[in-house]
Amino acid sequence: MTRSLNWAAVASLVLVFSADPGRAARGQAIGPGFELERSGRYADAATIYFTTVRSDPTNLPALLGLERTLFVLNRMSELLPLVQQARARLPESPALRSLELRVYAALNQTDSLAAIALRWAASVPRSDAPYREWGLALVDRRMWDEARRAYLTGRKTLGGEGTLAIELAELEQRAGNWEASAAEWVRAVTRSADVGPNAASQLADAPAPVHEHVARILTGPDASVRVRRVGAEVLLAWGQPNEAWVVMDQTLGQDDSDTQVALRRFADLAGALPTPEGHRVRGMALTRWADFVPSPVSDRARAEAVRELLEGGDRAGARRVLEAHADATALGQASLLQILIADGQLDVAAARLEASKTALTADDRGALRLALAQARIARGELDRADAALGDDSSVAAIAQRGWIALYRGNLKGAMEAFRVAGPYATDRAAATERTAMMALLQRIQEESSPELGAALLTLARGDSVAAIAALRRAASRLPVQGGRLEVQLLAGQVAAQKGGDQEAIAVALFDEVVRAGGEGAAPPAAELDWARLLVRTGRSAEAIPHLEHLILTYPNSAFVPEARRVLERAKGAIPKS
Amino acid sequence: MTIGARLSSFLPSFRHSVIPSLLIPMDDAQTDHLKAYGLTYKAIQAGLKAEWLLNYRGGSFLVPDLDALRRDAALNGIRFEPVDSGMPAVRGEIEANNMDAVPLEKAPKVAVYAPPNAAPWDDAVTMALQYAGIPFTKIWDADVVNGGLRDYDWLHLHHEDFTGQYSKFFLIYSGLPWLAEMVQRNSDMARRLGFQTVPDLKKAVARGIHGYVENGGFLFAMCTATETIDLALAAEHVDIAATFADGTPIDPDADAKLDWSKSFAFTSAHLEPNPLVASFSDIDGHQVNGGARRQPLGAFTLFNFSAKIDPVPTMLVQNHRQVVSDFYGLTTSFTRNRLKPGVTILAEEEGAPWVKYVHGDLGKGTWTFFGGHDPEDPQHQIGDPPTDLSLHPHSPGYRLILNNVLFPAAKKRELKT
Repeated sequence: MTRSLNWAAVASLVLVFSADPGRAARGQAIGPGFELERSGRYADAATIYFTTVRSDPTNLPALLGLERTLFVLNRMSELLPLVQQARARLPESPALRSLELRVYAALNQTDSLAAIALRWAASVPRSDAPYREWGLALVDRRMWDEARRAYLTGRKTLGGEGTLAIELAELEQRAGNWEASAAEWVRAVTRSADVGPNAASQLADAPAPVHEHVARILTGPDASVRVRRVGAEVLLAWGQPNEAWVVMDQTLGQDDSDTQVALRRFADLAGALPTPEGHRVRGMALTRWADFVPSPVSDRARAEAVRELLEGGDRAGARRVLEAHADATALGQASLLQILIADGQLDVAAARLEASKTALTADDRGALRLALAQARIARGELDRADAALGDDSSVAAIAQRGWIALYRGNLKGAMEAFRVAGPYATDRAAATERTAMMALLQRIQEESSPELGAALLTLARGDSVAAIAALRRAASRLPVQGGRLEVQLLAGQVAAQKGGDQEAIAVALFDEVVRAGGEGAAPPAAELDWARLLVRTGRSAEAIPHLEHLILTYPNSAFVPEARRVLERAKGAIPKS
Repeated sequence: MTIGARLSSFLPSFRHSVIPSLLIPMDDAQTDHLKAYGLTYKAIQAGLKAEWLLNYRGGSFLVPDLDALRRDAALNGIRFEPVDSGMPAVRGEIEANNMDAVPLEKAPKVAVYAPPNAAPWDDAVTMALQYAGIPFTKIWDADVVNGGLRDYDWLHLHHEDFTGQYSKFFLIYSGLPWLAEMVQRNSDMARRLGFQTVPDLKKAVARGIHGYVENGGFLFAMCTATETIDLALAAEHVDIAATFADGTPIDPDADAKLDWSKSFAFTSAHLEPNPLVASFSDIDGHQVNGGARRQPLGAFTLFNFSAKIDPVPTMLVQNHRQVVSDFYGLTTSFTRNRLKPGVTILAEEEGAPWVKYVHGDLGKGTWTFFGGHDPEDPQHQIGDPPTDLSLHPHSPGYRLILNNVLFPAAKKRELKT
């Protein structure tokens, strides 16, 4: 017995109980049978059901109980005469008719099954139920070809392209015929729009090799608007948001409630995609949806759309949305300023920030000042970065001033600012970066080093290759145990991260630091990074001696637990996570 | 096979070390319990003498104090303590209490029964062996049927369904690629070895494993393998496989026809005839896929045995925790009233009608069954990510697995007369 058969039986049971209190009482008489069935005592349960049917031959709950238990016991033939007898007494009962079909199917008597189904169909000439039950009984037996013939007989007899299309679509899907399934879903959706979400959800499971064929059926030139929207949802489910939006966009000419619902659904489904493209198309869908709904829902939708577009890297799109709505809220103003800063229009942003002081919350204003200062630093405009922070006395601003001091070569000033800012200012990544820099600065005795400041500014501006060379130069001016190894380690880490040609430089730097040894944290850290680089580039065997050397030479180092994990991975003793 | 498995008696435990030793404590002082087993295994594999100090500081190990072992311990984060001068005191404590020192002399050769395509992370024992650094060989049906087991001292089974019903996932997971591959692979193997059906092949494999234990092999099984190997053995001449597995329905009188004299651990069980319920019989107490019959997880308690009188069960329960959180498997536990008389219960859930961990002798060999799938993944689902044992170096559940790997290394003691 398959799950669908069980569910059919249970669903019928529920229907019977709720439809007629008298029958519900009859159902209660078989309660012990149910309990025995639940505890796995099928033969005992069947005995109770038989007893009930003997005294009440049309007792449907008992007959369904026999269907469940006798199947498990491989005694279905005992049920047939009882069902025939019951059906003769209540020939109009669809539940008994369906049960009879399922019993014939379970007994593998397909000719009798067809004859019984057609006889039932003749008694209800406008109903598709006999064909549906006939087909389902065969599907439960995994007899796909026979089931297809049953459904198509129904379609031919009753007429209508969409007749039994859902059943055929599910049948083709189970049989692995995805294109045929898609074609049937097209018929089903054409007949009833309500089927759309189900169609999209089913076709989303299609395996990758058939995606192109299925997509052609759903989005080809002959496809209706309704079908194309299903196609857009399916493409989304397959992780193709850009293609999905192209299809959806082509269906948006009409201004109707279906369009609004379709856009909202599309936006919600796109929300499940974590990729930048997913965010971008969600932003576009929300932007269009906002045009269909009144304020303040539309304002919120646009604010969300801007966030999504920014997340998706579409600054131009986000800016268009904001500029098209001049009465933007504070949230909109802040987003617009973020875009201006990200676009590099720093002077315009600074002017707008000054002008819209009252329209922004204090948090937004602080965050925008920091973003502006960081953008100035990225251009090397340290004075203007300092000016952007103004009189802001927050810990985040103090930490930022620390970086500005560092880039000017004022190591002592930077250290003091970082200390005042403390370990929790701004986000976790920034706090970690600051703490790592403090650890490096602690090893350096000099209060000032313009070379190191300039090298770190070059790094902050994103020119890694130049920064590596500048850091190496700055390191050479420092004593070996007075910060040189730490600065070399930093240069090596940047080079390792950069990859390509820089990997050889990274290895040379790590080697130099490891050879120098000493008390500081740099040598074990360099050896760990060296090993990681080797593992990453597929040279795990070469990494193993480095990791073993690290563990045995620096047993008390904080890097040892991580070194052991990398060692396990290099040896293949634990899975990659 | 060179190591006899009947370990009902052991060499006298009192043995003075003449060379300096390293004590590998296995109580809460240990920094990586699981790797400590690997270190001890490597020591005896290298021909060194080691001792298992039963019930002493969580079942500690004693290995020679050699640079190579110190280095290995340091690399793997294993705590050790040099014990030259302290050893007499340690031995005195062992003599005076429920403790014993068992010599470990030969590293057992380990085989894991698994399909060739099984990932190394598919079962808890493979993961434990891999993490501890204990070498093993993967074998499958052809090796068993062709007598290849004789090359190994220790055999592990995990989630194999020896009833040949693909863990009864055939209908539930119908159409999924991994199941299709499993069916294909098993069907091909059955044809290749001349069996009409997969259930016939698996019964033959079960009989091969039974013979291996009778001849002195050590069998350790977890999860579904425990329950289904006994069902397959008891059903040698009875059809207990659903139609989808062999084309014929289950024998309606199968329950009555099962011959439990052929099984390892269980008796008088009733089969689960519904092909849609991924449960095999009423041997499993928890019935994880049994709908309303499913029981919640609790915790199981390890038994205390007399180390000097019952060294084998004592070895199997060495742990730094007495109570361990339970974990599901397709077979999670063993109903008490389905156990054969004479089976040794190693761990049970107090007050519950099931036990977790059992052991017994058969012929010249022994078997141990441990319910559940993965001690550190209590709700294990198909498709879950593998357990990273470097995050569970103190796992008491995994320790029980590794106890089984090491106990065949214990030296047989001459029988007292």
